[in-house]
Amino acid sequence: MKKIIILVLILCSVYVNCTAQVFFTKNGMISFFSSAPIENIKADNNQVISIINTTTGEIQFSLLINAFHFKKSLMEEHFNENYMESKKYPKATFKGKIVDLSKVNFKTDGTYPVTVAGDLTIHGITNKITSTGTISVTGGVISVSSKFRVKLSDYKIDIPKIVKDNIAKVVEVTVSCSYDKKNN
Amino acid sequence: MTKKSGKIFLVAILLILAIGLVAAYRIWNKPHKNVEDAAAITVTATELYNSFIKDSAKANELYTNKVVQVSGEVSQVSVNQQAQQVVLLKTAVEEAFINCTVEGKKVNAKAGDKISIKGICSGYISGDIDMGLLGDVFLIRSYPF
Repeated sequence: MKKIIILVLILCSVYVNCTAQVFFTKNGMISFFSSAPIENIKADNNQVISIINTTTGEIQFSLLINAFHFKKSLMEEHFNENYMESKKYPKATFKGKIVDLSKVNFKTDGTYPVTVAGDLTIHGITNKITSTGTISVTGGVISVSSKFRVKLSDYKIDIPKIVKDNIAKVVEVTVSCSYDKKNN
Repeated sequence: MTKKSGKIFLVAILLILAIGLVAAYRIWNKPHKNVEDAAAITVTATELYNSFIKDSAKANELYTNKVVQVSGEVSQVSVNQQAQQVVLLKTAVEEAFINCTVEGKKVNAKAGDKISIKGICSGYISGDIDMGLLGDVFLIRSYPF
């Protein structure tokens, strides 16, 4: 009897593994926007790796700080060397879960507003965050979009006083990713 | 101070100010590095990927933030959300690529072609072992070579 139970349990776990649906992108987009009295600054990163497990609701993003591209080369330089210290902290990551996964039907086309909670790591500092976003399913293709705000001081990103009017204390981050199904 | 030397002094000050302003303006508007014409480190896609897998600290020192010219076989050509071309070069590891985002000039290639592509290496992002996704090495601001 015991053996049968163990066998059933093993089969169940194998079954769960096989049906786990993983979707991914390696070229997602995350950009940020800083609005300040002297100037507005925008930078884009189109090399975002993101994974969603539609069975468990796990969702991850990771990007390289030095892949953010600015209009002005000087800004890009200061961003990497002075503010983000990208040599020391090359990556930013988010690992979390879709809180209200049951609201999403990945098999039916539609737009589903969701809440995501997890750990956001920037500049070597990890904070728990919760943000809202949208999951869209169009012809079986999953895409995710979200907008949230990041307070620079929460991540110990210091802006020198001399440029404090050039850079916002809170920047707006925009996420836009479109996923491919991962073949198991 | 005589009237004449005063005038010279004023002109000198104005000149210094003007030079300063021009210099500041030029630094402020410094153009992005010209990747297309820059000297590059040549490497094959497999070599580049393996070096990040073996010793990422060493690979970062050798390649990250530098212009590299990578040769390899095209696995896929696609377009990202900002309408930039994305070229994946095969490595020795299946489902792991040199992921190149193209700037400006289009890469004229299709899956199976052997090409060389030049760009700034931004580094390696690991995937997720639990979810079975392998990482890529990224090239930004790439040009066909």
